[in-house]
Amino acid sequence: MSESKSQKGGRTLASTKGVTEWTIRAEKLRKEFDGIVAVNDLDLKIGRGLLYGMIGPNGSGKTTTIKMLVGLLRSTSGNAWVLGEKIPARNNIARLGYMPQEMAIYSDLTIHENIELFGELYSMGKEALGKSERELLKMVDLYDRRDSLVSTLSGGMKHRVSLACALVHDPEVVFLDEPTVGVDPELRVGFWKYFSELRTKGKTIVLTTHYMDEAVRCDAVGMMRTGDLIAEGSPRSLMEATKTSDLESAFLAYARRSVT
Amino acid sequence: MRLDRVLAIAKKNLRSLKHDRRTAGFLVAMPLLMITIFGYTFGGDVTNLDVYVINLDSAPADESIATAIIASLASRDTMDIVRSFGPQDNGALALGEQKVRDAKIWAVIIFNETFSQDVANMSSHIGTLPAAIRVVIDGTNPNIVQTIFNDLQLSIRAVLGAQAVTLPIVVLPDLVYGEGAEFIDFFAPGVMGLAALMVTFMLSIISFVHERTASTLDRLLSTPATEGEIVAGYALAFGLVGLIQSIVILSTAILLFDIQIVGNALLALFVIFIFGIGNQGLGFLLSSVAKNELQAVQFIPLMLFPSILLSGVFWPIEAVPDFLRPISYFIPLTYTVEGCRSVMIRGWGAGDIWLQIVVLLAFATIMLALSTYGLKRRR
Repeated sequence: MSESKSQKGGRTLASTKGVTEWTIRAEKLRKEFDGIVAVNDLDLKIGRGLLYGMIGPNGSGKTTTIKMLVGLLRSTSGNAWVLGEKIPARNNIARLGYMPQEMAIYSDLTIHENIELFGELYSMGKEALGKSERELLKMVDLYDRRDSLVSTLSGGMKHRVSLACALVHDPEVVFLDEPTVGVDPELRVGFWKYFSELRTKGKTIVLTTHYMDEAVRCDAVGMMRTGDLIAEGSPRSLMEATKTSDLESAFLAYARRSVT
Repeated sequence: MRLDRVLAIAKKNLRSLKHDRRTAGFLVAMPLLMITIFGYTFGGDVTNLDVYVINLDSAPADESIATAIIASLASRDTMDIVRSFGPQDNGALALGEQKVRDAKIWAVIIFNETFSQDVANMSSHIGTLPAAIRVVIDGTNPNIVQTIFNDLQLSIRAVLGAQAVTLPIVVLPDLVYGEGAEFIDFFAPGVMGLAALMVTFMLSIISFVHERTASTLDRLLSTPATEGEIVAGYALAFGLVGLIQSIVILSTAILLFDIQIVGNALLALFVIFIFGIGNQGLGFLLSSVAKNELQAVQFIPLMLFPSILLSGVFWPIEAVPDFLRPISYFIPLTYTVEGCRSVMIRGWGAGDIWLQIVVLLAFATIMLALSTYGLKRRR
């Protein structure tokens, strides 16, 4: 299967797309841990250039889903494809970016050393790496601190380093697990602006968040609850369908429906 | 201070131990293991040293003092007289010397033709020169040299009885290796191996457990880096650390203690390097069955004590009781120390320590392969 190159910048959720054209597709994707269902037969279709938000409380299966999509966890059953390759997509792995929820960076290294490590793991040339590092560190406002040890940074700063590490190799599909936790409001606005920029460059972004107010900025959101995808669509359509004025209320409405 | 709160805290700590069965078990098993191994190795004498005896004494067998001494030696278990030769065996001495040089036996003990006569003359003050027992001996291990000499003295006293205040017999050593060797020469290779073990194993197991708990391992695996690459990167880094440590130890030993290195120091360092890589792999592997740093740390003494006690670092393997000795041969440090000692004291080359090199290469390969496999299975 090959990914579609034709829909440059397309941001539709339209179900008319051929199966092969989805950047990310999951069919009955399921994960159980010792018999406990973490992700329950998830069906997912995410088009190229889409900013897709997964929202839901802790333990709803967002992180597990992402870990399966980036190839860190094997699914119990079901299938998923990323950029046309069945997961774990080892051949496409260099085209994916991943920022885990935990600040999975080396606290005994400097910011620069962390970014260099990840850049080198993607076999980036010195020049491209330097340029990318400069751009990203300016975006996350840490350029002046690049030689500081990560252990000396605040929690929010570490998060920003982690984000920079995930984007250093200019991936086509980016999975961001809680990218804005611990980031102050001003910088958060900057982050969202950057995500929009990435999207216009045709990048596909899948992120999780539990800040419902910022999820409104996504092209589409998937609402997850105890492993189930309880609703999916553009934020506006979800609010309209539940006759609510914000995503939080919409979520609660869907959550009530899924129980009964 | 209130007792109830103190008790509550104490209870909490004991309870968390209860939840971590392995740590609890470790707290009991470790001292048990230590006292057991220490007791056996310290309590045990060096035994079963393989030697040849050449008895050229011309006195009739029932009057020969040499024969009596040999019988006395044979009655104890310090030495195993693998072969005995008489005057009719031409070339026995050359054969024996070659065996010592090849480290197949520890010593050749030689009694000359006039041995009994010399003893008699000396005892009755006719002669002026004491009878001599010549011992061609591998001086690599001063501990073993000492033990053989002590055992000879014991036998001499046993045969001559209390009559001899000044013994009419001297033991003349003829060192094949380790001429002028001191304990530091013997220890240096052992300490090098031991340091490499401690450092590489500890670094590897602790940093890797941290890598798992801090999720950086997942992060690495989400990049194009393969499991094999991660394992190899670790092996390279910590193998080098082990190597640098050995160089420091070697330099210190040369500068401060003036140790002698007969063979090629680079070969000894190469042995240490392979050993370091193997240990790194072992640490990597064990880290996967440790849930946290505390559990990881428990593996350190578990690895260290048997290695220190059973691998011949301080006490020769010959001092390890028979039923524990098979374990010695399963400990990679045994081969490292033996290999380094052979190079540094005996001056042997790579061809002479091929067995040690092969064993260590196999150890490293298996550990790295298992580590890679273990990582793959995680996904």
